[in-house]
Amino acid sequence: MLDFLATSILFCLLGGLGSLLLRRWEAIAIAVAGIGAAGAGILGIFAAIPVLMSGHGEVFSTSGPFPFAAFTVRFDPLAALMVLIISLVTAAAGVYSLSYVKDYAKRGVGAMGFFLNLFVASMMLAVVVDNAFYFTLFWELMTITSYFLVIFDQDQEAVDAGFLYFFIAHAFSMLIMVAFLLLFTHTGSLDFASFREADLPPWLASVVFVLAFFGFAAKAGVMPLHVWLPHAHPAAPSHASALMSGVMIKLGVYGIIRVGVDFLGAGAGAAWWGWMVVAFGAVSAVLGILYALAERDIKRMLAYSSVENIGIILMGTGLAIVGAAGGQPVLAALGLGAAFYHLLNHALFKGLLFLGAGALLHSTHTRDMAEMGGLGRRMPWTALCFLVGALSISAIPPLNGFVSEWLTYQTFFAAGTSSQFAGRLLGPLAAVALAITGALALMCFVRAWGMVFAAAARSEPAADAREVPWPMLVPMGALALLCAFFGVGAPLAANVLSGVSAAVLRADSLQISSGWLVFPGNPGQAVLSTPLVALLLIGLLIMPLSIALLRRRRYVAPRIADEAWVCGYQHTPQMSVSVAGFVEPPRVIFRNLYLLRAGEGPVKRAIETSVRDVTIAAKRVEPIWDQITSRLSVQGIEGLGRHVQALEGGDLRLYCVYILATLAALLIALAM
Amino acid sequence: METAYLFGIGLLQAILLLLVAPLVSGVSRVIRAKFQSRRGPGFLQDYRDLWKLLVRREVIPPEAGYIFRVTPYLLIAAMLLIAMVIPAIIDRSPLEPAGDIITVIYVFALARFFLSLSGIDSGSIFAGIGASRETTIATLNEPVMLLALFVVALLAGSTNLGTIATTLYTQQISAHTAVAAAMLAFAFATFVEMGKLPFDLAEAETEIQGGPLTEYSGRALALMKWALYLKQSVAVALFIAIFVPFGRATSMSPVSLILGEFILVAKLLLVFFILAFFENTFARFRIFDTSHVTFAAAGAAALAFAFSLGGV
Repeated sequence: MLDFLATSILFCLLGGLGSLLLRRWEAIAIAVAGIGAAGAGILGIFAAIPVLMSGHGEVFSTSGPFPFAAFTVRFDPLAALMVLIISLVTAAAGVYSLSYVKDYAKRGVGAMGFFLNLFVASMMLAVVVDNAFYFTLFWELMTITSYFLVIFDQDQEAVDAGFLYFFIAHAFSMLIMVAFLLLFTHTGSLDFASFREADLPPWLASVVFVLAFFGFAAKAGVMPLHVWLPHAHPAAPSHASALMSGVMIKLGVYGIIRVGVDFLGAGAGAAWWGWMVVAFGAVSAVLGILYALAERDIKRMLAYSSVENIGIILMGTGLAIVGAAGGQPVLAALGLGAAFYHLLNHALFKGLLFLGAGALLHSTHTRDMAEMGGLGRRMPWTALCFLVGALSISAIPPLNGFVSEWLTYQTFFAAGTSSQFAGRLLGPLAAVALAITGALALMCFVRAWGMVFAAAARSEPAADAREVPWPMLVPMGALALLCAFFGVGAPLAANVLSGVSAAVLRADSLQISSGWLVFPGNPGQAVLSTPLVALLLIGLLIMPLSIALLRRRRYVAPRIADEAWVCGYQHTPQMSVSVAGFVEPPRVIFRNLYLLRAGEGPVKRAIETSVRDVTIAAKRVEPIWDQITSRLSVQGIEGLGRHVQALEGGDLRLYCVYILATLAALLIALAM
Repeated sequence: METAYLFGIGLLQAILLLLVAPLVSGVSRVIRAKFQSRRGPGFLQDYRDLWKLLVRREVIPPEAGYIFRVTPYLLIAAMLLIAMVIPAIIDRSPLEPAGDIITVIYVFALARFFLSLSGIDSGSIFAGIGASRETTIATLNEPVMLLALFVVALLAGSTNLGTIATTLYTQQISAHTAVAAAMLAFAFATFVEMGKLPFDLAEAETEIQGGPLTEYSGRALALMKWALYLKQSVAVALFIAIFVPFGRATSMSPVSLILGEFILVAKLLLVFFILAFFENTFARFRIFDTSHVTFAAAGAAALAFAFSLGGV
């Protein structure tokens, strides 16, 4: 399957280079970039699925141009899952960009295609390489290419967002490099294979884990290192935002799992690592969705919601680390299985929602939800796809978000029934945090869909909006169908993901589905059948339909009123619940939690001030260096020149004396 | 074969709850009337109301889309699904693969999603405010409900409703204080979920013209009202199934099933009778005061959790 993967990366590179070279002919550049990305995505899917289904990976190794680092590629099930996620969203984004990027005409679409394709290629390479040097290389390449995508609009907001993103990404990737360096000094090699076999003393393992955790957590968008996310994701073009929010932040979780479970864990880890991860996850989940509620900008709301979902994924991962450290293989397998399922699901529905936001931006030219409204009539297919995305992210049965949250709850339950007190205390508390998050997410996305698509238009652009063209609809529809598939078809997918977690933990596979059922390892603990729930929900519609037909002989067709009822007054369009008014109650009830968000401003300002100070100091130091080096030599040469100039008298007789003196000196020299 | 029988029993249970729901809400109405020194409309008034509404012509606001039209049907289907999986008549869950406490809570969330969305879709300001309150109360109440159910589930070793109910019934759990505290917390959470005074902020008739029900009329209103009556009955039936499990059928013989049905209806009437006292002695809580009360309930649930940790 590595040849499929290599071809996929080749497609990316060709698409990117072609887009850059053909940038003068914008239509062709857009087509090349889009088809490159779409082809890469489809090939990546074909590369990943055999590895996932069989559970066996491939390893490929060459020596590469550097003697200290071999170019090793290890396409194991975890890498295959990440490649699958990257490919699915890339295929969608590629087709989407064929029509969406036309909005950016004359602003450098060739460069956008180049950076996007390079971004995808660097992500795919980062998850499959098995060497710390190449991993860091592709990680940095990923950050740089996504930086250029964030600042694409080149207005003040985008540049500020890009700067913040770049600063935090690099500051924290240094922590990752330090962690790898520590492992290198202990093992003497930069290969991940040697890291896996390294036998570290517990204190060193903890230091490495903490460094790697914070380094990767900044990229994943965990609170409090998430400050770049709500600015960077909205600034980028929508298909790039979909990739950044749906895929790139997952690479942060991938890094945490690689270092925490693959290298260090599976028995050698400590339980407090896992509880630390769960704590950060819980805080990110609750505060993330709470801050999402306060947003009017649809993309910022989706960005904060990504923070929330990363929190949910980390809660499952943390419990898996606890299970691996405490000799509870079922808890570990279940936790990782739930985390991987939510990883996949979030990529699907967040990608769908960002593509939908892009469609809204395309049609109404605004990101402000208060300016939209009534778009369900004007853009029916976008509305339907966005509804599926909203239902999925609110964990409504029988869609995919519900299955992964159900598995996460079962992980908490398994921790709650374990023999260790920490698990029995903290597992149910984490479940309560997830319940709060779920309820808030429901409110957030009811508001989002309702304010954008339901009721009446609140502005002129919304009233004139048109449905988006098919290259933008097809990817959204495909992602929506996948959301439904991974929900209703959970029994099919669950065992595959459990296999991935078994491969990472190097343990036996935990069976979590059979037939029509999904269960957390032990069917006595709980069972779930999403196909059954789906069938029942549809089938039980017969009852209200038959009630409705009860007195049909006297039935008269409904009358459409002139306006909604407002106690007899004249109805105006402002008389509908507003975007901010809808969330007023939780904003007041949880106002103390919102105070923490005020901390984001000072952090940003601190970063900006410190960098500005460093720049000013550098500007002051540079002239000093200038003086010492260049001025000295320049002044010296000038002085020497002036002295030499004094020799020139301008008198012809003086020059004759010079010639005679030189002649005499040469004759004397010859005589000696 | 047994699964087919159980499925039939589940269906029977759902239809029973559907048919009985207007009766128990009618009982509430009569008791409220008696509290207010009125004669009251009679126990069967809600049936008469629904029958009449089915032939009234609907008036639909101009901005309403398909969500507005689909919601009444979806709500009833969702509530019937929950009614099918509760071990109310029989001591097992008739539909185990859907009879999980988390599944039940999230099917309630499904109903709430569409109820709130239809409120916004109608374009009416009153419905929109009702939708906002509906989701806010869920934010406050769902964690309490989940924690209370989680405590009894942890004590029973499973999140399956049938297993929890059977384990509690056969008294295999020794942590009595924890179960009692969890019962109190869950009773409170159910009361809030039912949306009865003093927690009927979402459908506050005197304040916001009926909340999400404002713009419904005619046949759709009949279905919505029936859905909300059914939701109240299902919530109480869930509470009864877990914490008041006496008198259920232990086998699948028709006699014990019919007896189980009658006992279920009797328990429902008893609970609604008791609830009527709470309903009619409080004024509606304001939205920001509700949070103080639900925090107290969350405290009770946390206390139950602490007791369960200690094994008390």
